Amino acid sequence: MNPISALSIVLALVAGATVLGLYWRFRQGRSVSVTPGGSDAPNALSPADVGSRVPFGARVTLVQFSTSHCARCPGTQVLLAGLARSRPGVVHLDVDLTHRRDLANRFGILQTPTTLILDGAGQVRARVGGVPNRAGILQQLDHLTGSTHAQLAR
Amino acid sequence: MPSSPVDSPSRPSPRRNRPDLDPRGPRFGAAITAVLLLVVVFLSLTGASVAALGLLTVLAALFAWGALAGAGRHPYGTVFKALVRPRLGPPAALENAAPPTFAQGVGLLVTLTGVVLGLAGLAPAVGAAAAVAFVAAFLNAVFDYCLGCQLYLILARAGILAREQTAAVGS
Repeated sequence: MNPISALSIVLALVAGATVLGLYWRFRQGRSVSVTPGGSDAPNALSPADVGSRVPFGARVTLVQFSTSHCARCPGTQVLLAGLARSRPGVVHLDVDLTHRRDLANRFGILQTPTTLILDGAGQVRARVGGVPNRAGILQQLDHLTGSTHAQLAR
Repeated sequence: MPSSPVDSPSRPSPRRNRPDLDPRGPRFGAAITAVLLLVVVFLSLTGASVAALGLLTVLAALFAWGALAGAGRHPYGTVFKALVRPRLGPPAALENAAPPTFAQGVGLLVTLTGVVLGLAGLAPAVGAAAAVAFVAAFLNAVFDYCLGCQLYLILARAGILAREQTAAVGS
């Protein structure tokens, strides 16, 4: 192959990887609402399901799925734990999926961190793949607790 | 309300003992690796098979270094610490070295496959393996994508990494 054609293929490879990366980054951290009672099956969790001795939040529970090999999970843990502390009735749980294939398969988890946002009844109401967007989580919390907390630091 | 890491006491993986590192170090290394992998692709496409195979062998050896010694002890990491990091501000946070070390192992597997197939006479495999490894290294360097993290989860889901621990968490 002549160098010009080879260079074209190399540039196409870079362009393709760039498009893939932009698409990946676009999807990161977005809260996707889950319709309650929707057909996309298992959408309720209990503390026993995730092996937690801590009861779920009265209003909202943030269930974070992590593994031991996850660069962004510790940062996500700090973010979500802080948000949970700032609101009454909100609990954050961190579940290591390394030894919980059942949970990973049940919810089709393809990346860590993935966060499920549960309402007071333990129903999955939203799902966030990747490091959550702080504003998006606050919006979900406002929505699920039926209030706006203008006084809380954002 | 308290936050509770459900099973933090039961994470016995020895890889977790690796020291934390500046996350920009592995990304700096991935950028160099990505450029060199592109050179391999170019050499392979222009028919410079021997040069392509030689360079891919060097890259496989560097991946092996990172995978065995840990991402924090990679030669590129030394360059980063000596020349780049002093010119940057402190990192926002340190990160566990286990994911990038695991990713080095994945890079080793891909590039070594290309080297073995290349030695067996299948010259286009050298360029193909370099192209696959390039995409991962490029996404890591430019977009901060962590292939090691994603593959670790997928392997865990497939039961390959579950090994002896199948008991419920939190016990």
